[in-house]
Amino acid sequence: MSNKYIALPKGISEKTFDSAIADFRSVLGDAAVFTSAQQLAPYIKTMMPVPDLDHAPSAALMATTVEEIQKIVGICNRYKVPIWTISTGKNLGYGSAAPVERGQVVLDLKRMNRILEVDKDLAYALVEPGVTYKQLYDYIAEHKLGLWLSMPAPSAIAGPVGNTLDRGVGYTPYGEHFLFACGMEVVLANGEVLRTGMGSMPNSNTWQVFKWGYGPYLDGIFTQSNYGIVTKFGFWLMPAPPAFKPFVIQYENEEDIVEIVEIIRPLRISGVIPNAVVIAHALYEAPVKARRSDYVTGPGSIPDAAVRKLAKDHHLGIWNVYAALYGTQEQIDLNWKIVTQAFGKSGKAKILTEREVGDDPAFKYRAALMRGDMTLQEFSLYNWRGGGGSMWFAPVSQARGSETLKQMALTKEILAKYGLDYSGEFIVGMRDMHHIVDVLYDKTDPGQVKAAYQCFDELLTIFSAQGYGIYRVNTAFMDKVAETYGPVQRQVHKTLKKALDPNGILAPGKSGIR
Amino acid sequence: MRKTKPMRTATVLMLSISVAASVMADMARAATETNADKGFRWRDGAEVYSKVCSYCHQGQVGPRLFGRELPPEYIRAIVRNGSRAMPPFRPSEIDDESLAKLAEYIQRN
Repeated sequence: MSNKYIALPKGISEKTFDSAIADFRSVLGDAAVFTSAQQLAPYIKTMMPVPDLDHAPSAALMATTVEEIQKIVGICNRYKVPIWTISTGKNLGYGSAAPVERGQVVLDLKRMNRILEVDKDLAYALVEPGVTYKQLYDYIAEHKLGLWLSMPAPSAIAGPVGNTLDRGVGYTPYGEHFLFACGMEVVLANGEVLRTGMGSMPNSNTWQVFKWGYGPYLDGIFTQSNYGIVTKFGFWLMPAPPAFKPFVIQYENEEDIVEIVEIIRPLRISGVIPNAVVIAHALYEAPVKARRSDYVTGPGSIPDAAVRKLAKDHHLGIWNVYAALYGTQEQIDLNWKIVTQAFGKSGKAKILTEREVGDDPAFKYRAALMRGDMTLQEFSLYNWRGGGGSMWFAPVSQARGSETLKQMALTKEILAKYGLDYSGEFIVGMRDMHHIVDVLYDKTDPGQVKAAYQCFDELLTIFSAQGYGIYRVNTAFMDKVAETYGPVQRQVHKTLKKALDPNGILAPGKSGIR
Repeated sequence: MRKTKPMRTATVLMLSISVAASVMADMARAATETNADKGFRWRDGAEVYSKVCSYCHQGQVGPRLFGRELPPEYIRAIVRNGSRAMPPFRPSEIDDESLAKLAEYIQRN
């Protein structure tokens, strides 16, 4: 064990690492290379139920230019030192800023934070990895560009590059973020700089407007992967609509999700409801308004009767469907008629708009997310159990009522076995749903840590056995999820890795790829 | 002006020069790196508070910070290490100088 470093990269001696660090310092300067425990503290804390030291980095590097990154990968190749690249480093519930394997060097690109271009007419942006949604939001407001962002719930402190590269989602009509990505600049492991799509052609002015370029489309292989370091990223922005009408539809029973999904699917596929609709369970919304301890004490998951009481006390449905209409007032009026007719048929739905619930804290933050405004209100989830433990369980479901009910019931049953609550929501794509469950536990309680780990492991095992794939996972379970997609895909990922990064210096272990 | 491009004119001119060879293209890219706008920097503690901290600490997610005369050293330690669900913030996000200003701002308010 090294005394000089808090960790070392796998298979690298202290002497070799000394040389690598000296070379990093010669490129970046002493102030941009961290190795002490104190300096590395902000890179270590995660919300996962494993010891943080299992994911402790050996060092962190703050690069600010492409040229520096090219030199860094050169040094990494020379010494076979692996790097773990982060942008804003706020992948909370998925591993935060810490590397997948202990001892990897974090390459921190937060200081590469230039907004390189925002085109009002063509409605796109080109940014560096360290740009946050808040920074871009302020820039758009300052320059009166009339464009809307789509961002995940950690909006203000997260950023478009990291979120999209991890295939995250938001809540506006542009909510499936990677669908709206257009053009990347990537530093490859050999130091070459690739611009994808039209960006490969010198003098092209269509890099951010035409995705496909010529030949195989490459952008996808740089998402959820470790084949390159994305240093510039283009994506489309939504022109601010003339009118916006957020609403919530509440249902009183868990089984009602079948009706909800059957009604939503055709409205979503046809574009009547254009945004990434959320179907949130009462326990996902409850932390904004209530404390768990007011309804349940002692071990075990919260009983259904307590959830019903809580929902009633705080004017929540057991399911809460948040959606919005966008466009001209005439378009909205017409589509509103279609929506209310569809949901009005069974008599089970309670349809509420800003007029009735505009001041409700849950509605307010949901409405903000659906128009791309900054809010961190969803972090109230972390107060539900307290203690800072959180993992996102994220299986994909068909947008079919029977399937969503089956997934919800199965998740709830497994969570209850370990004394954990179902804090879940479905984010509606056109034909799919991202079923998102925050597995919340108290990380200061060893019993809950153990239960949370075993619970998550069982969720992955049971869901994959039923053919339900996980679309995104924290760094403690990446290998397990990669395994569920079968040997052929894993081998193809490995073949690409070998071809593009023969020394395995870029984030080995990301998505189970080495 | 419809298009906003926060780069200096020199950079734009550099990029507009027709280059066919990849070596030349790489030079143009390097010029983008060195000449372009330097990116975001915090102005003062109030800006850090309003653009980061306030979303939780005035949004009923985290505890209120104002009016408690919290010692700057305590604030610094929590920001860098995190606490329970609060994530830590790295010097790449909030540099030491801005963190000192933030701590002073919070203590003062």
